[in-house]
Amino acid sequence: MTQTINEVAIVTRQLSRSFSIRQKSEGLAASLRNFFSPVYKTVNAVCDLEMSIGRGEIIGFLGPNGAGKTTTLKMLSGLLVPSGGSIEVLGFTPFNRDHDFLKSISLVMGQKQNLWWDLPPVETFEIHRRIYGLSDEQYRTRIDELVEMLEISDCLETQTRKLSLGQRMRCELAVSLLHQPSILFLDEPTIGLDILMQKKIRSFLLDYHRRFKPTILLTSHYMDDVAALAQRVIVINYGRKIFDGRLRDLTDRMRPEKIMTVIINNGEFPCQLRDGCRLIHQEGQLYRFLVRREVVGELAACLYNTGQIADLTIEDAPLEEIIGQLFTDNGAAAASAPAKTP
Amino acid sequence: MTSFNAHLATLRAHFKIIFTYRGMMLIQAVRLLLLPLVLAAAWLSIQKTAENPYSDADYLLYYLLVPVILNLTDSRLVFRFPMAVRDGSLSRELLKPFPPLSGYALESIANNLIQLIYLLPFTLLAGYAISDRLQLGHLNLQLLLYMLLAIVLGGLVRMLISGSISLVGFWLEDVTTLNLILNGGIWALLGGMIVPVATFPQHIRCIAEMLPYRYMLSFPIEIVTGRLSQAQILQGFAVTIFWSLLFALIMRLIWKRGLKVYAAYGG
Repeated sequence: MTQTINEVAIVTRQLSRSFSIRQKSEGLAASLRNFFSPVYKTVNAVCDLEMSIGRGEIIGFLGPNGAGKTTTLKMLSGLLVPSGGSIEVLGFTPFNRDHDFLKSISLVMGQKQNLWWDLPPVETFEIHRRIYGLSDEQYRTRIDELVEMLEISDCLETQTRKLSLGQRMRCELAVSLLHQPSILFLDEPTIGLDILMQKKIRSFLLDYHRRFKPTILLTSHYMDDVAALAQRVIVINYGRKIFDGRLRDLTDRMRPEKIMTVIINNGEFPCQLRDGCRLIHQEGQLYRFLVRREVVGELAACLYNTGQIADLTIEDAPLEEIIGQLFTDNGAAAASAPAKTP
Repeated sequence: MTSFNAHLATLRAHFKIIFTYRGMMLIQAVRLLLLPLVLAAAWLSIQKTAENPYSDADYLLYYLLVPVILNLTDSRLVFRFPMAVRDGSLSRELLKPFPPLSGYALESIANNLIQLIYLLPFTLLAGYAISDRLQLGHLNLQLLLYMLLAIVLGGLVRMLISGSISLVGFWLEDVTTLNLILNGGIWALLGGMIVPVATFPQHIRCIAEMLPYRYMLSFPIEIVTGRLSQAQILQGFAVTIFWSLLFALIMRLIWKRGLKVYAAYGG
């Protein structure tokens, strides 16, 4: 099937979801009062969310805990009915749970499992094969590919409950991808995994996307996941969208400076600092500056020309820091503001 | 065909899982056997009134078959489904192109069928031990086929009633008490667990014959005792099908409304 990025896979218009949550104060008297006269509070988990995602895109869906990410994923996958607005996923209204729609999506939640706990993964694969109506050939080809890509040949016949978290997560991915979904919702797929396993999962997802081009909507608190996978990020907070664009644009907007760390051989700092360079740390011969992007090249060239550099690194502020800043009120305003031209 | 294969694969998977819980199955079998044994002993030891149509041989046959029928028409849906709503594991089922309730129903069916491994040998051995006190001369293939059909329909109607109660779990966190009232207490009384329906006073028997509970336990055994005419058997099937259709409709309505309030908690 030929897919182009111009085709729209997911569209939401003024999507909203609120929950009515029963409130209860502490103590027996409060419990008694609440029994006769319950008090409910309406929580707006998602408010007027507008987004459009093209086929084959990988979107990083970011936000702090309680921002509405998982609620949105649940609405997009048809688990929750929106309180307002509309959703179209591959032309379907998710909540109608059309058979063809369900065959086209997959939701992987890092904290939830699709594998049958008491059976080995290979048994779950077999059940999925029947549920999704895969032919013998399709099943064999896909399972061989996934087993190879995810390196799970040694754990296919071990009872799921006896697998390590990393093995289980890779088998979860395999079973979720067995029917080759056009849309893949990934909710914290690397949560709880060690660095090595996180890298493996990321590398697998990139490879899988390169081969099969599914649309991927990814939520993760690990910014390395987002940086490695997402071509575009949508950031929400308090259920509202506060940024939608390339990760690069977000970092440029939130942190227009780069961090330049220089170690010089000896003596005074050899270059004249101009506007846009600010010294933030010095320790012996080590200098650390915040340098506006447009003057980074000029300062680096000057330093090289002096021939006194022992070491020079130029990097962005850590993504976690940028995203953390975004979730403050000022940060959200900065992200929503029109981009400045250099 | 895909759907049939998927159901078959799911049923097979449940068989495999249940086989790993042999101890639990044995405890369940003991539970199923205990009460009928006590009731049989009680009914055999008391003086029966002149109006009571059941002889000792009838009581023996009745309570010999109660554990098997009780097991075959049992439904675990009412325990499994509300739990799946509460812990959010229903979400996993809702994401598949497979009817979510079918999975829970198949789990229940697999459980009932495997339980026969314990129950059937006991029933056959006990039947052999008291064979001189049983009257089975009237049994023929047609009666046995009727009984089988009655068990299937009885299981279906119980599954649908259990299912309807379990779907209330979309709104209530715990449906155990509701189940005890609608599907436990009344069922034990009017279904023929404590007292065989055929021995009820006429006016209560009429009520029991109109309600669905008799058809989940007493009716299949009444067929085997040979005390029902062909017309009464067919009438019993018609009543069972009526209740099945009614509860299928009720389930469908509750399901549609329930999905709208499902909050997919847990993850």
